[in-house]
Amino acid sequence: MFHRYNYILTALVVLGVITLISVVFQDYLELVNIALIHLIPIIFVALRGNFSATALIAFIAILLFNVLYVPPVYSFSVHDAIYLWSFAIFLLVGYIITAQAKKIQTNEIRDILLNTLSHDLKTPLSSILGSITLLLEDRKMSEETQNTLLQEIKNGSDRMNRLINNLLDNARLKDKHLELKMEWCDLEDILGVALQDFDEAQIQRSLRLHVDAKLELFWGDYNLLVRLFANLLDNAFKYSNQTKQISVTITQEQKGVIIAFFNESNPLKEHNLETIFDKFYRLENANDISGSGIGLFICQSIVAAHHGKIKAYNHENGVCFEITLPRLKQLSALQKEAE
Amino acid sequence: MKPNELILIVEDDDAISKLLTISLFEYGYKTRYANTLTLAKREYISHNPMLIILDLGLPDGDGKKLIKEVRKESKTPIIVLSARREEKEIIAALDLGADDYVTKPFSASELLARVRSTLRRVHHDISPQRLTCKDLSIDFTTKEVMLNEALLKLTPTEYALLRYLMQNANKVLPHQQILKAVWGVGYQNEMQYLRTYINSLRKKIEKSSTRPEYITTESSIGYRFCQCEHEKGDE
Repeated sequence: MFHRYNYILTALVVLGVITLISVVFQDYLELVNIALIHLIPIIFVALRGNFSATALIAFIAILLFNVLYVPPVYSFSVHDAIYLWSFAIFLLVGYIITAQAKKIQTNEIRDILLNTLSHDLKTPLSSILGSITLLLEDRKMSEETQNTLLQEIKNGSDRMNRLINNLLDNARLKDKHLELKMEWCDLEDILGVALQDFDEAQIQRSLRLHVDAKLELFWGDYNLLVRLFANLLDNAFKYSNQTKQISVTITQEQKGVIIAFFNESNPLKEHNLETIFDKFYRLENANDISGSGIGLFICQSIVAAHHGKIKAYNHENGVCFEITLPRLKQLSALQKEAE
Repeated sequence: MKPNELILIVEDDDAISKLLTISLFEYGYKTRYANTLTLAKREYISHNPMLIILDLGLPDGDGKKLIKEVRKESKTPIIVLSARREEKEIIAALDLGADDYVTKPFSASELLARVRSTLRRVHHDISPQRLTCKDLSIDFTTKEVMLNEALLKLTPTEYALLRYLMQNANKVLPHQQILKAVWGVGYQNEMQYLRTYINSLRKKIEKSSTRPEYITTESSIGYRFCQCEHEKGDE
């Protein structure tokens, strides 16, 4: 997570260098010039489109500028109102650039989103259309071929359905005022509900479930947890080919629950393990597998909404996605007794 | 099953109503069709259908209004069609007296199964002494539950819950409805009781709690018990 905010550190370093230069050449530079030089790191951060970071750097720059150069030097008191204006201008410049940068970023994201979405919806749609066209044209094909095509149509439709649900969830998760609908959930039941969306034959063939006998009820948002499980199952089925094993393990711990989704596959590269939860991130070799990468991003948002952690790591002959969800509410004695 | 009985389809999407008409026709049902609330009321009054399939989002109002009006006068079964994201809506519709619901996108076979079992429930509204479902049977007089011919030990609450589920087999039962019926009116929002007891009941009757055969979960709505034998029809 930390590398995302590297630019703030860079800005602070630049600011330090500028302060050093200004101190050394103070006698040769007008105060106005010094002020203008101090704008450089602010602009640098503002281009990232993060106003909080911009405000922080602007504040530090103003502080340094005030303490070091504005008379009386080495104090916070300001005698001349003109300097207050310059502070305000620092912030204003930062704000305007941030807003512009945000606009550009939004447009870029929107383009990426549209491209991936149209690609992701078109892929299952073309398999549906292709199969239907064949079925309509050739009325004499064997029943087996017909069944294969019909199954293809069903799988394609299921894929589209999952993607649409993900998009709707994404919109819901983006809402900062999102009220989670917290209730007592049975994670085993939720896993069962998530499995209802998958192909029975595939489940029978490759899925192994291990649910802790001591599993307690969990306080969380039922629908979001179903989505979380469905996305991770989808991911496991997608990236492990037909013959490989998938396992889901739910373990009750003292402080919460650990859920691990494991699928046999080639190991992921170290840097992929970190970025795999980023929006629209796809593995380099995943071009042939449908999915926009929005699934894992949503998983991360759902886990974060429950104050939990999600990580991916290579394990033996495959990849494991591990979720840790803290217990947010204690079960009363009465429910324990019933268990 | 009497052929050629009339089902009223209330749906504003042409593609969906066409699909419904075709699949119901295949099974010998006649259909009438309405794409607005106003038209639906008129059709209901003039044709007295034996069942209504109702979409909630209609161009001239909320489908729930129709449920209210129909329930004032009759027990005509109503199956609600809804887009997946409307749990509150579905629960409200069930509370108003809808008999069941199917979410979009739905499979035609699932909808037909719902139609058949809803009609059966209405026509066979009997209270049998004994119910059997697959390898599980319950006797209401002796309060004995048998699984694979062995007596099953249940706590009083587990028994009350199982009895309620089996008496309403193959019908969707919203959480609050079950809580009210089994625990009492004051317990409507005590979801943890329900989750805990469903889990313990599953552990006793299901081969796998994650992939249940008897008590299936209707995501966010409630639970449904599988088809019971005294009303075995043409499933």
